[in-house]
Amino acid sequence: MAEVRYEGATRLYEGTEEPAVNALDLDIVDGELLVLVGPSGSGKSTALRMLAGLESVDQGGVYIGGRDVTLVPPKDRDIAMVFQNYALYPQMTVAANMGFALKQQGVPKEERVRQVREAARILDLEPYLDRKPKNLSGGQRQRVAMGRAIVRRPQVFLMDEPLSNLDAKLRVQTRTELADLQARLGVTTVYVTHDQVEAMTMGHRVAVLKDGFLQQVAAPKELYSRPANLFVAGFIGSPAMNLITVPVEDGVASLNDLSLPLPDDVRAEVNRRGLKEIVFGVRPEHLELGQEGTSGEVAVVEELGSEAYVHVRIAHGAETELIVVRVGGETSVTRGDFVNFGVTGANHYFDPDGDRLDAKPVPGAG
Amino acid sequence: MTDTQPDTAPDAGPDTRDEERAEERRHLERREKWIRRLPLLPALLFTIVITQVPFVFSLFYSLTDWKIIPPTPRTFIGFDNFTDLVDNQFFRDAAWVSVVMTASAVLLSLILGTGIALLLDRKFFGQGFVRTLLITPFLVMPVVAGLVWKNQVFSSQYGVINWLLNLVGIDNVEFVTRYPLWSIVIVLVWEWTPFMMLIILAGLQGQPTDVLEAARVDGATNRAIFFQITLPHLKPYLELGTLLGSIYLIQVFDQIEVITGGGPDSSNIPFFVFQRSIGGGWDFGAASAMSIVVVIASIVLANLGLRVLSGLLEGEDPA
Ligand SMILES: Nc1ncnc2c1ncn2[C@@H]1O[C@H](COP(=O)(O)OP(=O)(O)OP(=O)(O)O)[C@@H](O)[C@H]1O
Ligand SMILES: [Mg+2]
Repeated sequence: MAEVRYEGATRLYEGTEEPAVNALDLDIVDGELLVLVGPSGSGKSTALRMLAGLESVDQGGVYIGGRDVTLVPPKDRDIAMVFQNYALYPQMTVAANMGFALKQQGVPKEERVRQVREAARILDLEPYLDRKPKNLSGGQRQRVAMGRAIVRRPQVFLMDEPLSNLDAKLRVQTRTELADLQARLGVTTVYVTHDQVEAMTMGHRVAVLKDGFLQQVAAPKELYSRPANLFVAGFIGSPAMNLITVPVEDGVASLNDLSLPLPDDVRAEVNRRGLKEIVFGVRPEHLELGQEGTSGEVAVVEELGSEAYVHVRIAHGAETELIVVRVGGETSVTRGDFVNFGVTGANHYFDPDGDRLDAKPVPGAG
Repeated sequence: MTDTQPDTAPDAGPDTRDEERAEERRHLERREKWIRRLPLLPALLFTIVITQVPFVFSLFYSLTDWKIIPPTPRTFIGFDNFTDLVDNQFFRDAAWVSVVMTASAVLLSLILGTGIALLLDRKFFGQGFVRTLLITPFLVMPVVAGLVWKNQVFSSQYGVINWLLNLVGIDNVEFVTRYPLWSIVIVLVWEWTPFMMLIILAGLQGQPTDVLEAARVDGATNRAIFFQITLPHLKPYLELGTLLGSIYLIQVFDQIEVITGGGPDSSNIPFFVFQRSIGGGWDFGAASAMSIVVVIASIVLANLGLRVLSGLLEGEDPA
């Protein structure tokens, strides 16, 4: 077990202009489950593969347990990886798959069999030990891939979208099992996913990547309540945060009839930057239908049972904009109604260029 | 609306209805199958005529005593041609040459081909060009290959090898005379290595990269990856190479004719068949019997080869 550190780690693929991972600085503490999340092509897999040694680090370095492993080949890094398509050894049985790494280390056969059985017991794989991977279901293959990793007792687990080939229900179930297993084993884990719900539910901390740049690293709660920039604000949360450009005058932003007096630190920052417009952000649960506030026409009502999301079309300059408001499960609002809504708290203010405007520094951000 | 069809009578119970449907479905399936097969029929007949009819003729001739010089009437003699073969020292020599020649040429070209395929299975400048160059031996006509090797390489007067040996002060060696069988095997290996290489290369390029990466992360050395992951993956490709190689190489004729012109140390069964028939023996009965033996031996040998190979690659321990 060990801590992991990226230090200005950069990867530029041959024949490309922009680095796939750009000067990544990231500290992962011992025993932590850190999730790398971001849209497709943001460099998550690349960052993970740099740590595995499968991709070379063009600038900067990576450290595992304080040891500089930048130039160490994968086999000497003492890591275990779970691949998206599992990458099981097709000609070997489940048992041989799981025992492969131990065999490479020269672990005697009886010991190997014992450890494989132990891992198979944890993962409920005992009935399948003599099968070939092609005769297993997707979920079983996923568990074999996990088993292959835990048998090793490595310093670090690396997982690249290990659940993306499972159906929705199994994915949710496996997600909790995996987080539980990781907590029990206490092995430092770097987990890649493009699914922000997976990231938020599993990660001790979540690192958001975009175009190879680290946007923010924080605990899920903080990521949700204090997104460091526009991208994170829009990416984290489902449904997404309402983000709308509004004019500012004398320290007061206004959204149609709604006046939004800016907090002091935001006002100072707006003045310092000389902004005439800012991006106002508010999550659906911090809006409320009522008599006050600004009005609009209901475009869609998404009923989820316990709650509902009302999409309200409001005028915004010459155009219209959809604002999502969360309401309780039993709402009488229907499409075509005209409603008023107001803000109940937790507003976010961003520079149109992306930065968050409150003064409080975001801890842990690169 | 009158109920004329008793089998669709409304009072028929669900069981009979199901049976009727099943019957109907079977009928449709049969029809479907014939509709699909019918267009293939002419091709099938043609194939049977041109491949199996000559074989049947050979089979018939092999049971007769049929010599052309001096002309004698064809007489049916049962299996005498076959029993005679057992005592025929020349045939036994030829059979042994066939076995050694085929087995060693297949094995060596397979090993060499695999080695070269491994070297080629990575990106480098001029990859396509090098690959094309390496394939050319397979495209050369067997007779030409035989002539080139005999005169330009092995020859004691003009050969490259002897020229090199002379440079380091070693006397001329008449390779073809001293090692007739191995001279031929070398030429065969030279011709067949590219073929094996192509098959193995296809196998290597079909190997998923994430499996190899998983093995690297799991701590496997290159050697371990090759023997524990790549080789088992290549099994079907190696089998295919062995099968095709054996089938073709057991019938080698041109190279023998050109390089040594036959002789007890280097004629295989096909060459001996030629000698016993149109090559001077004119004994078509005996020659046909031998060709039948070759066909059977090919089948047996190919099967044996596959067995051995599968056995070698199956060796995987459970943990
Ligand atoms: N072998 C390669 N050669 C060139 N460019 C590559 C290579 N692999 C990835 N890239 C590029 O690097 C960028 C990051 O790729 P990466 O695979 O890390 O994305 P990702 O975040 O894992 O995306 P996804 O969620 O789709 O898996 C992409 O723009 C991709 O096109
Ligand atoms: Mg990826």
